[in-house]
Amino acid sequence: MSYETFIALRYLASSRKRAHVALISTISILGLAVGVAALIISLALLSGFQDKIRAQMALRSPHLVVSPVRGDRLDDPQLVARTLAALPGVLSAGPVIEGRGWLCDSSGRNGVPVRYRNVSEGPLRLSGEGAPPARVSSAAASRIGAETGGLLRVLSSRSRLSPLGPIPIAVLVRVAAIRRGSALEKAADLEVPEPTARLLAGLASGAQAYEARLSDPNSADAAARIASVRLPAAYRVRTWRELNAPLSFALRLEKSVIFATIALVIVVAALNVVSNIALLVVEKKRDLGVLVSLGALPGSLAKIYLTLGGVIGGLGTVAGILVGVVASLLLDRFHVVPLPADVYLLSHVPFAVHPREVFLVTLFALATAVAAAVLPARAAARIAPGEAIRLSR
Amino acid sequence: MLAVRAENLSKTYAGEGAPVTVFSSLSFELREGVFAAVMGPSGVGKSTLLHLLGGIDSPDAGRVEVFGQALEELPPRERARFRNDRIGFVFQFHHLLPEFTAEENVAFPHRIAGESAGEARRRAAAMLDRVGLLERRDHRPRALSGGEQQRVAIARALARAPSLLLADEPTGNLDADSSGAVFDLLEELHRERGMTTILVTHNPDLASRCDTIYLMSREGISPAPGSSGGI
Repeated sequence: MSYETFIALRYLASSRKRAHVALISTISILGLAVGVAALIISLALLSGFQDKIRAQMALRSPHLVVSPVRGDRLDDPQLVARTLAALPGVLSAGPVIEGRGWLCDSSGRNGVPVRYRNVSEGPLRLSGEGAPPARVSSAAASRIGAETGGLLRVLSSRSRLSPLGPIPIAVLVRVAAIRRGSALEKAADLEVPEPTARLLAGLASGAQAYEARLSDPNSADAAARIASVRLPAAYRVRTWRELNAPLSFALRLEKSVIFATIALVIVVAALNVVSNIALLVVEKKRDLGVLVSLGALPGSLAKIYLTLGGVIGGLGTVAGILVGVVASLLLDRFHVVPLPADVYLLSHVPFAVHPREVFLVTLFALATAVAAAVLPARAAARIAPGEAIRLSR
Repeated sequence: MLAVRAENLSKTYAGEGAPVTVFSSLSFELREGVFAAVMGPSGVGKSTLLHLLGGIDSPDAGRVEVFGQALEELPPRERARFRNDRIGFVFQFHHLLPEFTAEENVAFPHRIAGESAGEARRRAAAMLDRVGLLERRDHRPRALSGGEQQRVAIARALARAPSLLLADEPTGNLDADSSGAVFDLLEELHRERGMTTILVTHNPDLASRCDTIYLMSREGISPAPGSSGGI
């Protein structure tokens, strides 16, 4: 241990015996602890929500989508299908057939513009016989008064040629399910079986894009890189993260703003560190002069107070981390903050402690405390030793 | 060889009102190995002179050489090292660091010189033994008597075996017995180590036991009548 650190630690330890210094030191440490704890709990709260949102994103979005760079359909859908199927960790891959149209009730009185797309038959098996089954978003269903089991008419934006000339493609579908909408998903308003979607899109074969789901959504980037290498340049491969980039950006921005805002508590607490250390510089002015007379460098005097700032910052940060992390874990474990499940899809406010964020908070708090010590430390380094000793007589 | 040479020193302090000129054009020389006393009324700048000779203050004008080395010409790091290696200070009010034990106080010059904590403490203990305070090594300054505090301060000043000891009224705050004991110790260590010692004192009895006496006044500094002078 350098003598500067030795002196700094002894000053801090002995400040307990001097009420005014002890009070300010305690306030400094507590202030930092509160700031750090507040920041960790806030970030844990955000992370808890955002983790859930990301999990939903990964659940509801295709993990990989291959689409043509130009045009609206794939040149060689078989090649794309084979390439996707050969990727490691692929659970399923299928074509995307989608388009826009008009959805109205069977009477034709109420209508709403919709985006339709194909969906695997699985979720639509409960449909009745006759008209193909369809899953309708709750938003579209409420606008046209659709109910499960009811019939709806879909008019495609595409037309087909008839002996009378081009006429709209119209299909009657039966509502198999009404899907609750979510801000997170970009699902179409109307999901129909692949043959119905092909009929509406006027696409007898091929596909507009191909999508795949992976066993591990986090491996999407690696899988996309492999697919990009294996496929010709005419195809674009995107991951679920790229598809949700605006939302991901918004989540990151939200966290950054919260960090910057709550971090102000730490900055304010650091002002206590400034006054704490400035007080110690004034109180120890004579000792600093004596140390210079013994051969200490001005830089060493500054180092004493920077170390002091670091130690105060360290104590406050450690206390804050302990409180913040333990509180976050308990809040999450015991579901302390309940939520109306029908509104938020969650029964309680989730808290998630990310080690990387704790590390960032630690770094920020320590750097702020040391930075707060810079000003008084520089004042210590500028002390005129002769004057400090002369005036202390 | 000259231990100390000061030429045309001037020093003015910026007081609360008008600036206070402590002295101007003061010159002073002292041969190596001499035990010199500096006497004079309060306020003539005796302490300031010691601070200038020890390099912890700078003159407004003039030049200070210690063992042939002009202090002002040394860069800050070298100047600090020079002070650590070759100059020892003893102050009137001991100025021991109150949070540290006697041994830790005496070890500071060694720690500042870059020695390990263990080695510094070992050498500090030896020095405390030399001034007869080994058994008080773990006591903090407030637990020591005035005489003991000053002996620890002397041990700290001599820890690095300096060539020049600057003692600013080291007995000024002590009773007659302690004063005599501290002076005896200083004299003994001076003879034992062959260093140059400049002692500021108001006590004529103690001054008379030094090799030479200088009288300091507003007009300057000069050897006392009948004193051989330090040259």
